[in-house]
Amino acid sequence: MRREVPALVFFGVAALGPVAVRDAFLLDGLILILLWGAAASAWNVAGGYAGQISLGHTAFFGLGAYSAALLGTRWDLSPWLGLLVGAVLSTIAGLSIGYLSNRLRGPYFVLATIALSQVLLIVASRWRGFTAGSEGIPVPFRPGFWTLGIADKRVWVYLMLGLAVLLYLVQRYLERSRRGYQLAAVREDEDAALSLGVAARRLKVIAIAASAALTAVCGALWAQYVGFVDPFYVFSVDLSVRFALAAIIGGLGTALGPFLGSVLITTLETYLRAQFGGVGAGLVGIYLIIYGCALVLVVRFVPQGLVGWLGDWLRRRGLAGAAQ
Amino acid sequence: MPSPSVSAIPQLLVSTILLGGIYALIAVGLTLIFGVMRVVNFAHGEFVMLGMYLAFWAFTFLGLDPYVMLFIALPVFFVAGLASYRLVMRPVIHASHNVQIFTTVGLSIALQNVALVLWTGDFRFVRTEYYSVVVRLGTTAFNISQIAAFAVAVAFTAALFAFMRWSYTGRVMRATAQDRQAAGLMGIDTDRVYALTWAIGIVCVGVAGVLLAPLYQVYPTVGLQFVLIAYVVVVLGGLGDMAGAVLGSLIVAAVEVVGSYVIGTAWKEVLYLLLFIAILLVRPAGLFGQRGAEQLGT
Repeated sequence: MRREVPALVFFGVAALGPVAVRDAFLLDGLILILLWGAAASAWNVAGGYAGQISLGHTAFFGLGAYSAALLGTRWDLSPWLGLLVGAVLSTIAGLSIGYLSNRLRGPYFVLATIALSQVLLIVASRWRGFTAGSEGIPVPFRPGFWTLGIADKRVWVYLMLGLAVLLYLVQRYLERSRRGYQLAAVREDEDAALSLGVAARRLKVIAIAASAALTAVCGALWAQYVGFVDPFYVFSVDLSVRFALAAIIGGLGTALGPFLGSVLITTLETYLRAQFGGVGAGLVGIYLIIYGCALVLVVRFVPQGLVGWLGDWLRRRGLAGAAQ
Repeated sequence: MPSPSVSAIPQLLVSTILLGGIYALIAVGLTLIFGVMRVVNFAHGEFVMLGMYLAFWAFTFLGLDPYVMLFIALPVFFVAGLASYRLVMRPVIHASHNVQIFTTVGLSIALQNVALVLWTGDFRFVRTEYYSVVVRLGTTAFNISQIAAFAVAVAFTAALFAFMRWSYTGRVMRATAQDRQAAGLMGIDTDRVYALTWAIGIVCVGVAGVLLAPLYQVYPTVGLQFVLIAYVVVVLGGLGDMAGAVLGSLIVAAVEVVGSYVIGTAWKEVLYLLLFIAILLVRPAGLFGQRGAEQLGT
C-alpha cells in the first residue's frame, strides 16, 4: 500500500480543495490541473507505457470535444452521449493509427500522427455546413447534470477528480498487471518480446486505441466545461505537445507523473496568463517559450522525469519505496 | 474559378514546376539532416519562418531587397545553424529517437514563441515594387518573384548536389550517412560532420524562407504549413534521399496545384496529407527508398 501513498495525498488534497477554497480562479486552476493531468495520463498510456510517441493526440481530444458539442447543438442530445460517440470514433481512429504503428517506428510514427490531427483540423475548420467552420462552436449552457450544464465549479472539481482517478487506475493497471508487463517488454524490445510469445502487435494497437478513447473523454468534458470549441485550439499540434510535455516532465510511464507535470505547467501557464494576458497579447507566448526550453532541458538532464528524480532522491535518503 | 479544361494544362505545369522548386529547397535541407544525422528536425519550419522575418525586417527597416538579403542570410543562417547544433543538438546526437524528437519539438515551440513575443502574431508581407509584376509566356502567366525564387532555389539545390557529389567534405558527409561507426574508424570527425550538416540544412531552409517572403505572408506559426509539406515530400522521396526529395517536391506541388484548380484552394492541404498517410500505409520507405528503411533504428 505504501506505493499508493503519494497518489492518495495528491488526490486527497484535490478532493479537499473545494472545501477549503471558494475562490473561482483557484478552483478553475484545480479543475484544469486535473483535466490536463488526465489528458496527459491518457497520452502516457500510448507514449509512456507502450512507447508509441504521438504528437497528434489532439485528433482524439478534438473528436471528443466536437462530438459532445455537435450532438448537443445539432440534435439536442446529452453531452454524455457525445462523450460516448467521441470515444467510439477515437477508438476507431486509434485502431487505424495503431495499425500504422506496426509498420512505422520513431519519427515516422510521429509524422503520421501529426498528419492525422492536421487532416481533422482542416475538415473541422472547412466543413462549414456541419462543424460551423473556423469560427468554432459555442456550447449552449443547458442546466442539469444530464446536459452537463453545471455552474458550480465545485461539482466540476469532483467530476474531473473522478476522471483523474480513473486514469490513474488505468495506469496503475498497466504497471501491475500481466498485460502491463507484456506491454513494457514490447516497448523495451519488440523483437525479444515477440520471440517470447507476447502478442506484441495486438497489445500495441489496443494500448493506442485505449489511449485515444480516454483522450476523447477528456476532450468531451473539456468542451462542456469551457463552453466553446475552437478547431485551431482542439486540433493544434501545440496541444498535443502539451499532453506529452506534462507526461515527460512528470515521468514517462509513471502513473502519477502526468499529474505532477500538469501541476507544474498548468500553474505556470495560469500565472503567466494572469500576469501578461492584458499587456500586448504577444507576451502570452512567454509561457510557451518556457515550455519549449523545459522540454529540451528535461529530456536531456532529467529523462526519468520528476517522479523518477524524486524517487532517486528519496532512496538516497534511505526512504526506499515511499515514492514511485 | 473556371471549369477544368485542357487549355489550363500548360499553366498548371508551369505552376507545378515553380512551386516544386521552392519546396525542393526546404525538403532537401530536411532530408540531408535526416540522412546524415538520423534526426527528423521538427524545428525545420521555424527556420523558414525566421528566414521570412529576416527578409521582412531587412526590407522594412533597411530597405534591403529580399534578393540582396540572400547574401546576408547565407552566413547568418550558417552561424545560427552551428550555434543551434552546439547548444541543442550535439548533446542528444547519440540519444534515443524519442529524446531527439522532443528536443527538436521543444526547439520548435521556443522559436515560434520567441517570434510571437518579439514580433506579435500580426500577418506581415514584404511588398516589393515588383510584387505584382506578371510575366506572360504563351498561354501561361506567372509572378516575377515566383520565377526568381524558383531560379535561386534550383541553383542552390544544384550547388548542394554538386557539393555532396564532388567535394571532399561532401564525400565525408555521405560516408558518415552510410555508416557513422565506420566513418569514425576511418578518422572522420563525425561531430564536425554533424555540425556542418545541420548548419547546411538550416542554411537551405533559411534561404528558402527569404525567397518565400515576397510570396507569402509571414507570422510566427507560418513554418508549420511549409514543414508539413516538406515532411510529405521527404517521406514520398524516401527520408534521407536527396534526389528523391526533389522528385517528391514536384509530385506534391502537382497535387497541390491540380488539386486547387479542380476542387478549390480550401481543401488542397487535405489532399497532400491524405497522400502522405496513403504513402505511409502502402510504401513507408518512400517511392524510391529501400523497403524497410522506416523501421531502421539508428
